[in-house]
Amino acid sequence: MAVDTTYDRPAAPARAPAAPRRRRSPRRVAWIFAGPAAALFALFFAYPLGASLLQSFTTEDAGATRWVGLDQYRRMIHDPAFVESLVNTGIILVVQVPVMIGLALVLAVLLNQSWLRLRGTWRAVHFLPAVTTLVAYAVVFQVLLKTDGGLVNQILGAVGIGPVDWLNSPTWARISLIASLTWRWTGYNAVILLAGLQAIGNEQYEAAAIDGSGTLSTYARVILPQLRPVVLFCVVTSTIGTLQLFDENYVLTRGGPDDATLTPVVYLYKVGFQQLDFGYAAAIAWVVVALIAAISALQYAAFGRERRR
Amino acid sequence: MGGAGGGGTRDIDGNKADKKGKVSGKITVWSWDVAAKAMKRLARTFEQRHPGTTVDVVDIGYDNAYDKLTVGLRAGSGLADVLTVEGDHMPRYTANFPSAFYDLTNLGGRYGGDFDRAAWSTVTGRKSAVLALPWDIGPCALYYRTDHFRAAGVDPKSLLTWDDYVTAGVRIKKATGHRLLIQDSTDAGILPMLLQQQGQSYFKGGRVAVDTPEAVRAMTLMKTLHDKGLVDYENGWDGFVTGTKEGKAATTPTAAWWTGTLTDEMPELKGRFGVTPLPGFTADGTRTSNIGGSTLCVPAQSKNPRLAWAFIEFLLTSKANQVSMLKHEGLFPAYLPALDDPYLSAKQEYFGGQAALDVFARLARNIPPVEYTKDDAKASDIMISTVNGVMLRGKDPRTALDAAARQIAAATGRERVK
Amino acid sequence: MTAVQHASVRAHPARRLGRVAVWLFLACGAVVSLVPFLWMAIAATHSTSDLFHSPPPFLPGGRLLDNLARLQDTIGFGRVLLNSLGIAVVHTALSSLISAMCGYGLAKYRFRGRGLLLGAVLATMMIPFQVLLVPLFQMMASVGWIDSYQAVILPFLANSFGILLMRQGFVDFPDEILESARIDGSGELRTFYQVVLPCVRPQLGALVIFTFMTQWNSFIWPLLMLNSEDKYTVPVALNTLTGLSRVDYSGLMLGSLLATLPLMALFLLFQRQFVAGLLGGAVKG
Repeated sequence: MAVDTTYDRPAAPARAPAAPRRRRSPRRVAWIFAGPAAALFALFFAYPLGASLLQSFTTEDAGATRWVGLDQYRRMIHDPAFVESLVNTGIILVVQVPVMIGLALVLAVLLNQSWLRLRGTWRAVHFLPAVTTLVAYAVVFQVLLKTDGGLVNQILGAVGIGPVDWLNSPTWARISLIASLTWRWTGYNAVILLAGLQAIGNEQYEAAAIDGSGTLSTYARVILPQLRPVVLFCVVTSTIGTLQLFDENYVLTRGGPDDATLTPVVYLYKVGFQQLDFGYAAAIAWVVVALIAAISALQYAAFGRERRR
Repeated sequence: MGGAGGGGTRDIDGNKADKKGKVSGKITVWSWDVAAKAMKRLARTFEQRHPGTTVDVVDIGYDNAYDKLTVGLRAGSGLADVLTVEGDHMPRYTANFPSAFYDLTNLGGRYGGDFDRAAWSTVTGRKSAVLALPWDIGPCALYYRTDHFRAAGVDPKSLLTWDDYVTAGVRIKKATGHRLLIQDSTDAGILPMLLQQQGQSYFKGGRVAVDTPEAVRAMTLMKTLHDKGLVDYENGWDGFVTGTKEGKAATTPTAAWWTGTLTDEMPELKGRFGVTPLPGFTADGTRTSNIGGSTLCVPAQSKNPRLAWAFIEFLLTSKANQVSMLKHEGLFPAYLPALDDPYLSAKQEYFGGQAALDVFARLARNIPPVEYTKDDAKASDIMISTVNGVMLRGKDPRTALDAAARQIAAATGRERVK
Repeated sequence: MTAVQHASVRAHPARRLGRVAVWLFLACGAVVSLVPFLWMAIAATHSTSDLFHSPPPFLPGGRLLDNLARLQDTIGFGRVLLNSLGIAVVHTALSSLISAMCGYGLAKYRFRGRGLLLGAVLATMMIPFQVLLVPLFQMMASVGWIDSYQAVILPFLANSFGILLMRQGFVDFPDEILESARIDGSGELRTFYQVVLPCVRPQLGALVIFTFMTQWNSFIWPLLMLNSEDKYTVPVALNTLTGLSRVDYSGLMLGSLLATLPLMALFLLFQRQFVAGLLGGAVKG
């Protein structure tokens, strides 16, 4: 399937090898395909997106809306909680995403071995964490990571470690969050990578086998470079997921202790829905959008380049 | 639609002429947990008494109930006719959505004297407008393990002050190994309770009051408890209940509704708990506080406010109904006439024959009213960090509270008391 | 079969060692993946009060049927399961089709507004959806759709992730095949359904799984939209088990476990599509 992950961004529409491919068909035909989605976006997102952007330039006082220009955006700079949420996100981006993608890659390669029996079952088992409902996820992890009597600490205790205060100490809470994120999403990414691996034709594996390279170096030399777009896809979606992180840290720690697991979206949720400060929440949301756009673009610039060589 | 202009709230029409008039039609009521259960039960009685009416009680779950309320209030539509809102959340909504609720003053104002005054203060908005009726309250006392106290030779009645409490805690720990209390590290622990006991919340007269001498006293007490190794930290509600069930702590300073959790989740500990008034900051100081409690209100979007009010009135201003909800669902009434019912002075088997409800009923009349504001959620977040900073990372209470006050003032644009 | 097809030589010692290592790695992963589910299953067989022990029980108890009966009694579990199923099936079918079509349009046609559409796709993917809830709710309320299933389903039918996934699947689809179909006189839509779509079954399978999963576990939006207990979906109904001062953990665990089963079934059903990506491989030839 050769996943192509180069987004055709409006700003940079020129794709090198695309010359003969796109058919210049009547606009009408294209809209038959793109129309339904476009209509849905126009109907259900145009207004909310616009409304939230406008709102980010306003503030409310006792029901009255007031235009404040860029004040809400300026507020963020001096807001220690917001800064902390960015720091936490940075830590997760730098530590969790690479570890998870690396593990997922290993897992995908192993699950792609033809001699492996019950491959379907193995795959399903590893995918299972991604299908947990959030409520269950929260309760299970709180029980597993309980300081006294939690399963994890009991196992560690048996080998003479701990007890570790998994969810109550700022540092350990971060580690717990990273571990539980990795638990939930590694299999999911592995399945996407696996689909990518399987789209690489047999010939490639055979060609590599013929020229005498062993399994490991086959992967390193022949297969992985071809998988680059899929890996990039996983990296980018995980990055977006991290910058929008809400579910896991909200249910596990509510962003605490001491804001150690606070992320921008948990913070904007608190600001908007609990403190009813909608203007500020909208401003934070748009900063998140800007960050995602900037970081994704950087990732493409850095890693998407090579295939166009 | 909502509001009679000028940001005011509006009355439910025809209140006087229709006082005996018939109500009809259908309303929807949103609630959660045992409160929903209680209303579902009593709605049937109400419908029988008022033929031609339908009261549809929907359990919307507690965890995200306020998301639903916030969105509906903000959108100006989509809400039920009667909403359950916790007392300490009400001011946040009335301040941010000043015309979103019906003004119940003409209809409900006359009940003012019948309700606990701390709870009543949460339902009155600007210009003393009554925007909701209080339902239940959470008068606080000290639950203690009779066996731990006996083993350490401590008489629970001797705990007159928090200093006595600390001294007793040290003794109990030495004698039995049990700590004194559990703190849920995802909230601010006993701080709000200790503040209300001294008659304040995070704000006083609209100003930031987290660094008052009272607040410093409360925080210093919490630090002392930690420093002497008397606090067991648990994560979340689940940890709190488990810790108690496992006997990790000899006491739980908390509200009357805790009894429901004890009887439901730890039936095997029957006879091991007793209840005594909270220790005071001085021997003759207030011996109680409040945690939780909810109110019922009618959003201005309601199409049948008369029926909504009739149901609220039926449910909350009837002694029989209030006592029945205490009996069946453990909802401690804010409606004071209900506290005289013989049911409250009955001996309770679970508490080894102690008339535990009676302790709360006596204390309930002395709960100091405090001020809630629209900025409570903001302040609360900052205070949770502050509590953890002082207790877990050994910051100095006075300095930490000073920093917190500065931070809250900056975040809310309010002045500080000091 | 597109998996690695090494010559099936009898394993020599070094390779056998490698295989043991692979199994070991997979087994460790499986244990880590499964333990939380195992605990859920165990918790589902105890009363909530038993779960508040430290350490919590690690062996099955005898309250499974009690919990099941209570779950049915308090939240009408059977009913909400059907609700969830109906919503998720309709949503997944429509959304996958719409995403596939849009992805195809973006991959294979140049048209005015294409850049704008791509921009919209990316923007909706990047914006934290929490901030869209209030305006979206307002829209639903203004057309009187609160407490209706279409309000749960419609707004999120156009799915950015799905559109990008499908677009990537279509980009490398050979134009020659499209041309020859066109020369044969096949209409554009017919070509799409009969020729193109079957070739992206792996991506489509993935998309179906991801869409169904997201909708099945979707919580906040259905919670905001649905106001009748008999219309609740599973996550919304399970949420009511969490009260102010009591939480029905055993009911939650049982309910969540049962809610996971359909997703598992779906995955087992559709994962063939990943494996049998033969057409996808064939056209690459």
